[in-house]
Amino acid sequence: MRRLAPLRTSTVVIFGVLAFFLLWWIPFSHVLPDVVPLRFAPYRTLEASQVAVWVIVAVGLNILTGFNGQISLGHGAFVAIGAYTAAILMVDHGWPFWTTIIAGGVLAGGVGFLVGVPALRLTGPYLAMATLGLALATPQVLSKYEGLTHGNQGINVRPEVPPPPAFIKDWFGLSLSRDEWMWFLVLSIVLIMLVLALNIVRSRIGRAFVAIRDSEIAAQAMGISVPRYKTMAFAISAFYAGVAGGTYALVHEYIAPENFNITMSMNLLTTIVIGGLASILGSVLGAIGLVVVPELPELVFNRIPGVNIPVELSWAFYGVVLILIMIFAPYGLAGLFHRSVRWVSSWTLRSRAGILVGLVVGVATTMVVGFALGLVAFLVTTAWVWAPPLVGVGARGYSRWIGALTSPLASAGETEAGPEDQSSQDHPDAER
Amino acid sequence: MADFWQQVVVGLATGSLYGLMALALVLIYRSTHVLNFAQGEMAMFSTFLAWSILIRVDNHYWVMFPLAVLVAAALGGLTERVVVRPVEGAPILNIVIVTLGLYAIFSNVASWRWIGRPKPFPTPPEIHVAGLKFFGGDALHVGPTVINYHDLTIMVFAALIMVALYLFFQYTSLGLAMRATAHNPVASRLMGIRVGRMLTIGWALSAAVGAVAGLLIAPIVLLTSAMMVGALLYAFAAAVLGGLDSPVGAIVGGLIIGVSENLVGAYTPQEWLGPEMKLTVTLCIILVVLLVRPTGIFGRRALRRV
Repeated sequence: MRRLAPLRTSTVVIFGVLAFFLLWWIPFSHVLPDVVPLRFAPYRTLEASQVAVWVIVAVGLNILTGFNGQISLGHGAFVAIGAYTAAILMVDHGWPFWTTIIAGGVLAGGVGFLVGVPALRLTGPYLAMATLGLALATPQVLSKYEGLTHGNQGINVRPEVPPPPAFIKDWFGLSLSRDEWMWFLVLSIVLIMLVLALNIVRSRIGRAFVAIRDSEIAAQAMGISVPRYKTMAFAISAFYAGVAGGTYALVHEYIAPENFNITMSMNLLTTIVIGGLASILGSVLGAIGLVVVPELPELVFNRIPGVNIPVELSWAFYGVVLILIMIFAPYGLAGLFHRSVRWVSSWTLRSRAGILVGLVVGVATTMVVGFALGLVAFLVTTAWVWAPPLVGVGARGYSRWIGALTSPLASAGETEAGPEDQSSQDHPDAER
Repeated sequence: MADFWQQVVVGLATGSLYGLMALALVLIYRSTHVLNFAQGEMAMFSTFLAWSILIRVDNHYWVMFPLAVLVAAALGGLTERVVVRPVEGAPILNIVIVTLGLYAIFSNVASWRWIGRPKPFPTPPEIHVAGLKFFGGDALHVGPTVINYHDLTIMVFAALIMVALYLFFQYTSLGLAMRATAHNPVASRLMGIRVGRMLTIGWALSAAVGAVAGLLIAPIVLLTSAMMVGALLYAFAAAVLGGLDSPVGAIVGGLIIGVSENLVGAYTPQEWLGPEMKLTVTLCIILVVLLVRPTGIFGRRALRRV
């Protein structure tokens, strides 16, 4: 029995802060006083569960891409495998929900292993393209083989989740809604997966991954079997994606092929790079950031009377923030966090109290700096777009656009996608 | 058999478009080793600008065309200078995320600015040069095979651009400098080449090629902010299939993908493959090719000294 890796104080504090933030603040924020703009609608609880699912996949992808150096643009496919396995087992075969999540993870892990074998021959952009193909093919395959997957109509998942145990009501006087109870279930899955990931990356396996990433030849010379560990990284990473997929089906209660399009895989890659490669903390921060950043303009500016930001601009703002983070924080949010902790602790006293103060200030700095970067970016975008039109002639107003990264890519499976594709889907040959 | 050749011809035309976009990708990849995910959206944005220009110049297509290509080139150069230069030398994934950010910006600003219905976009109208008529007519008949004029235009444009780029890279000093930069930036800088400027020109050139592709695609799919998404993904496949550092490979890869996609759609069993699965089958073909030749058909294997 291998011992768990010793938890570093910083890790405990970091995850403690995060757990507090996620555990109490978001689900119960509607009973807290009105202090911050970012809160209070019951859907926040659901959103927190969705972030949690995102965290699981991001951690898995980070093990593959951040720690092992293999780029995957196809993790949406593994999420789909997990989600569909879980949903089909739950709906068509009546398995209890927790077994389906494990089954989804194991099946996705197996497929991940099979993908990892040919991936051994490919590197860099060529591997990226091969995995991108996986992501592109997923929605098509899912909608084509209807007998198994229920095709385009999707699957309604109504998981029979046991009700919250009585002690929560008896001891704490809280009666949880379904979403809130689901949130605790999902959070416990996340915590298990996080602890597992921390132990993987700090063990012999994790060090082998990093050694291979830094130099395959040197790793080989040290006696590390490169093919073995590279396929293992793929399998572990896909296992995480599969577990996340099962959880996804549980949280969303409905899955359909278009949920698992190329957008999902792209967003996943963005999550881990923005959060910080080769950092578990980074995966968590990135997942939160990816959900919060596009909402910032609406949350902050649309509260000012007379200001109404179209949703397209919120997404353009998201693009600007991505670029700014990459320019000013190349190691992502985790890098930003560590840098600010180091910066502060270099002039706090080298005592425990000083480090603690440093940590608190570090968290605060990360949030403030991230927010300030975002604010500047937003003002720049607004100024740029609102400037007198140079050549544009379009009338201004709102279209029913659901965000760039969702809509245009949603039809990516079709050739030369465009709105008129909706009609040509029935006659794929008639497009020309 | 007539039907077969018809499918091939249509595939070649689509393939030329993929090839053009792939060419744009390769031009950037060769010099900077960046996979530009925003390439398609830049082309889409340029096409919208072209549409605006077209209205300003009273629908004179051939006045608009060079202007639009120039504007696109300027946009590309500007993008490199402002957004990509600061992350030069950063890890490859960081640059990929920057291009994804650009993607979000171009796509959303376009859909915000030019909202509304998909806009019809004209095909190149006929012109008369020295008594000869170009770009006009109904269709070209070769035996039983019918070649649509717009398809012919696309193929001719792809060929012309290819030849022009070949001449540019082989026979001009600027082209030589750009090749040198792609090959060895450090040595080029020591030889007095302004490497940064070469990269800016590379992006401009690539954006111009992309804009031509956009102008040729827009009449087929109508002008919308999502029109280049599918084409870009196919272009990626084409570029990778041909080998990411080979311009010839890009065009050949595009043609192969265009033709095989059409043939798969037409001639595979409907029950379990058929048109809906043509993308999947095409991707499988690419995967097999990559397994045999991990750097694409024309790609060079990078040798690294340890």
